Amino acid sequence: MKILAIDTSCDETAAAVTENTKVLSNVVWSQASAHAKFGGVMPSLAQRMHEERIDWVVKKALGKRNLAKDINAIAVTTGPGLSIALGVGINKARHLAIKYKKPLIAVNHIEAHFLSPLANSKTEIKFQVYGLCVSGGNTIFVKINKIGSYEILAQTVDDALGEALDKAARMLWLGYPGGAILEKFTKFGNSKAYSLPIPIVGQEKRKIFTYSGLKSAFYRLVEKEKPLTKEKIYNLAASFQNTAFTHLIRVIRYVLANYKLPTTNYFLVGGGVAVNVELQKRLRKLGKEFGIKLLVPYSKKLCGDNAAMIGVAAFLNPKYIPPSKIDRNPNLSFSKNTI
Amino acid sequence: MKKINEAVEVLKRGGLAVYPTETTYGIGADVTNQKAINKLNKYKQRPFGKPYSVAVANQKMAEEYVELNDTAKRIYKQFLPGPVTVISKGKHKVAKGVESENGSLGIRIPDYPLVIEIIKKLEKPITATSANASYQKRPYKISDILESISDKQKKLIDLIIDVGELPHNEPSTVIDTTMDDPAILRQGEIKFKSENEVLSRGEDETQNLGKELFQKYEKYLGKRPIVFALEGEMGSGKTQFTKGLARAMGVKEEIVSPTYNLVNHYSQIADHQSLDHIDAWRMTDPKELKALELETFVKSKHVVVIEWAEKVADIIKKYRDQAVVVWVRITYGKVANERLISWGNL
Repeated sequence: MKILAIDTSCDETAAAVTENTKVLSNVVWSQASAHAKFGGVMPSLAQRMHEERIDWVVKKALGKRNLAKDINAIAVTTGPGLSIALGVGINKARHLAIKYKKPLIAVNHIEAHFLSPLANSKTEIKFQVYGLCVSGGNTIFVKINKIGSYEILAQTVDDALGEALDKAARMLWLGYPGGAILEKFTKFGNSKAYSLPIPIVGQEKRKIFTYSGLKSAFYRLVEKEKPLTKEKIYNLAASFQNTAFTHLIRVIRYVLANYKLPTTNYFLVGGGVAVNVELQKRLRKLGKEFGIKLLVPYSKKLCGDNAAMIGVAAFLNPKYIPPSKIDRNPNLSFSKNTI
Repeated sequence: MKKINEAVEVLKRGGLAVYPTETTYGIGADVTNQKAINKLNKYKQRPFGKPYSVAVANQKMAEEYVELNDTAKRIYKQFLPGPVTVISKGKHKVAKGVESENGSLGIRIPDYPLVIEIIKKLEKPITATSANASYQKRPYKISDILESISDKQKKLIDLIIDVGELPHNEPSTVIDTTMDDPAILRQGEIKFKSENEVLSRGEDETQNLGKELFQKYEKYLGKRPIVFALEGEMGSGKTQFTKGLARAMGVKEEIVSPTYNLVNHYSQIADHQSLDHIDAWRMTDPKELKALELETFVKSKHVVVIEWAEKVADIIKKYRDQAVVVWVRITYGKVANERLISWGNL
């Protein structure tokens, strides 16, 4: 089934064409447009003017394909996300669905992150498996009973991991996008140079992720270490990332060790922070302790916000909805067993 | 007279009595009776370790339970009986769970003769905690209490002294005199500084202050939009503050950081109330706040919390007439967990 997928859940305007779980095209505005040349600038709402971008990304994603003849369904993110942004994608999808008489599919953005490793993947997955979404806006660890049926095992009670990394980068004046630059800097630093408090160490049984305490400890540390030298910045970056990841791994390990779930053999990991090589390494190592293999998206582009994952999720868990009923759901939560 | 004797009997037996004060209705238990304090813990369902302030009849009685330094003595002279709770070093003469973890105890002498009489007859101090369950609204009448507690909790109350609706006065000002610099832990009617400023010693206390500030402005709920503009450095506790505020509003969901979404909406609250939690950290232009439908939230009389408000101050100021705008500033204190939280109407 060929799907034209759209995502305007927050900063990005994205469109893609997928065929089952194969990615035929994947267009993300900030990377594909002329603006991409001016990287390093934090996206402002002006750049979130999805209305101006949506036609362009849809056209580019379709390429030579003809909507009427080549596309079988239209999929769009209905939530969670920024309400006004979601509306743009939904309106476009609704309009196209009506104009070309195509079925319309509503997609949960976070579910798409969990399923993003399945894009272009030949790996055969036998459910149940684990899912982890680590992005700027979310940090959720779930058990995937089967596609469409999820159980939250742990999630953040304050900041997401991606957000924590971005904020640490900002405190070190590393520019934008912070998390990615931070990752680069950690390679030159000593992760043990500074000792930062591991969040809820020893209390992992609470099954939460929390970064607000680490954030304030880091703030005070950076203030104390000023004036910052290059060496200090490398070490601070490395120490922060190390502690942030250690916490994540500790909580996940607790869940894996104490839940005695029937053998699952995959970790599906998605979200912007999934590109981080160190994180992948640690997850892979953790997985080995429990006989679980890591599966991440085939390309970096599938980790950040994008529409290809929306197309894949729409194929795997199609939630058809009449155009008259589709609406934005910014609070669409993952707090129920099935979404 | 009869009510006084009845109350004394109940308290002697280790029971719980709801009583009026010049601030809110309180719930009293004999502070030297461990069973009574345990019962009170069950009723309040508080996090373990949160201490209770106690009400005494006079300074002489206070001095049996705490050590009063000069600062404390001066405050007693000037403000008590009255709506001030003075924290001093405890003498450990009370049941476990009444004094704080570091051994300090808060004393009140309520400006309410009925209560003083009860304490005098009982010859023991009673707890001075408010009669509502944790994070529920301030109890100015008995129905405020009863409609937000469970049947189990209701059964734990042995006596209610109902004198009707109390004047809506602020809860007592709480001042800690055990440190070199006396610190205000809660801001009531009595002000010790020219501006509103409170010391928080941890996330729980910052959350609690979020609740307290919300309750100060609760009277505008549904009548005018209320905007809490939060200013504070990274990690100072803006989201913690919002957690307490939201909980006091009745929001059941976990409040998480809205940095990426820019706005999180909560509308499953009683009485068609809505909370919009905005984060301006990622905004590069104050106009972005406008594009986020702030105008709609204000028109619909929502409660709006804006983190990193200093980034969008110009836009917020424009709503000064339409909305009640409370500017809250959170700064780091002298030691690790301390924060200084000040606020004022814009």
